[in-house]
Amino acid sequence: MKVRTKYVLLFTLPALILYSLFVVYPLLDSLALSFYSWKGVGPKIFVGLKNFREMLFGNFSKEVFNAFFHNVYFFSLATVLELGLGFLIAFLLASKLKGAKLFRTVVYMPNMIPLVIVGFMWNLFLNPQIGLVNSFLKLVGLKALARPWLGDPSTALTSIILVNVWRHLGFYVLVILAAILNIPPDLIEAAYIDGASNWKIASRIVFPMVLPTFRTLLILLFIGSFNVFDMVYAMTGVQAGPFRKTDVLGTVFYRTAFGGLGSAYVDMGLGTAVTVFIFTIVMPLSVLYVFLIERRERSW
Amino acid sequence: MVRFTKTGKFLSYVFLTIYALIIVVPFAMIVLNSFKSMRELFMKPFSLPSTFRFDNFVKAWKFANIGTGYRNSLIVASVTVLIVILLASMFAYMISKYDFSFRGVMFLYTMLGLALPARLAVIPIFVLLRNLNLTNSLAGLVLVYSSVNLPFSIFILKNFIDAVPNELCEAARMDGAGVGYIYYKLILPLVKPALSIVAIVTFVNVWNDFFFPLILINDRSKATITLAVSIFFGEYSIQWPLLFAGLTLSIAPTVILFLIFSRFFIAGMTQGAIK
Repeated sequence: MKVRTKYVLLFTLPALILYSLFVVYPLLDSLALSFYSWKGVGPKIFVGLKNFREMLFGNFSKEVFNAFFHNVYFFSLATVLELGLGFLIAFLLASKLKGAKLFRTVVYMPNMIPLVIVGFMWNLFLNPQIGLVNSFLKLVGLKALARPWLGDPSTALTSIILVNVWRHLGFYVLVILAAILNIPPDLIEAAYIDGASNWKIASRIVFPMVLPTFRTLLILLFIGSFNVFDMVYAMTGVQAGPFRKTDVLGTVFYRTAFGGLGSAYVDMGLGTAVTVFIFTIVMPLSVLYVFLIERRERSW
Repeated sequence: MVRFTKTGKFLSYVFLTIYALIIVVPFAMIVLNSFKSMRELFMKPFSLPSTFRFDNFVKAWKFANIGTGYRNSLIVASVTVLIVILLASMFAYMISKYDFSFRGVMFLYTMLGLALPARLAVIPIFVLLRNLNLTNSLAGLVLVYSSVNLPFSIFILKNFIDAVPNELCEAARMDGAGVGYIYYKLILPLVKPALSIVAIVTFVNVWNDFFFPLILINDRSKATITLAVSIFFGEYSIQWPLLFAGLTLSIAPTVILFLIFSRFFIAGMTQGAIK
């Protein structure tokens, strides 16, 4: 339908203005700010590519790449566990089990708690002296396994990732379950009639049919994994655990931009350079994500 | 529907029950331990509390300003939801139902925000709010959250409004209905389910967020619930029963609401990611 311009402006401008002012402009300004050195107050000094040089090749690069590889590890382990376990549990729930509805509610429950609170609560559970995880291991006679989970460099990051899986898994289960329930039942029925085993049905029918959903989830996991902050902050603080063993780009950014005890680099310009770095990693896949969901819409 | 043999069913139950316990036990531990004394928590962490002491809750509530945190989060989340619903539905309606130049460009422009995590732009947002004198204010948080939640809301609402037949709008127009009248009397009632999805997802996003308050709020009287609890953890880290009480208080409202309305929450949140 045709419409007068004054109505177009009336209906679209409020959203456009707000979005431009607090999303688009800050994103562009981030790009600009990464070429400056700035303490947050006082003069901004144009330094050209110096922040990026420092970040990629200078002393700061050690910190950045250490964190970057932790993000990569985070992404890999979280993906294997969340998509793997998510598929397994969703497959089990796709049968006519009694209590499946109740179970769906239970698995989704952790998603309702703020990430930072999940971090605090598991921080208490994982405490070496009176944490419940170690107490539990003692109780069941596995005392040898007890350790200071977040203080031990070899287990700190993995513990955080497992807690993250605890928080998010229910979401992946439900999304994959929805995709499985969307498969035409005749397809599975026919396979059963032909005598296919559950393994065959899972691997040859269900898995290929939910692959598009996996693709979308994978992208979300990727974007999420490179933006981790709350959980690491809550569990091991801005210093990121023993020897920065749990440092991720998010905590490097926070330390660099807003300071923190023991941070050698405090500069908002350098901080935004870190966000531009994250941005460059995440951007291509983010665009792919929008493209994928857009296309899915059109095919409906 | 997937079928299992008897043993298959049994194994599924065992596996699912273990997983359910891994989820439920931590919740139970938090609540149980928040009633104990320090000594009892240390000696018998897994048992039921011998007496239910509520003083931990009273102390935690006072110390962390939990009441203020609830109030601030509630204000910020509700106002944000109202703004987002209003602006996103107006925008989506115009984009979906009318022809005008730059229509496609406008839509793509807002969809950019779906792809780019706004938290990466937090320093310029911080500076902008500081210049507007809006750091340390709930209004500042509302502005940021409303903007950040617009793209996804526009996306969902546009899909639903697209599904409303154009003939319906045209017929209304023939009868003399204006642009605003069609929006208010025809479109909004028809896309109510989408409005509730947007409301739930936005509310939960805002209520659960920690990152923006951490950076934009210094003043404890303006702290949201997540920030209030985090301050508590930084300063009171020896008194475990109090920490557990603080955790219980911070998660109770959303978990109780979720258990009552889980169907809507689940539909809302899963739509949120995949659609």
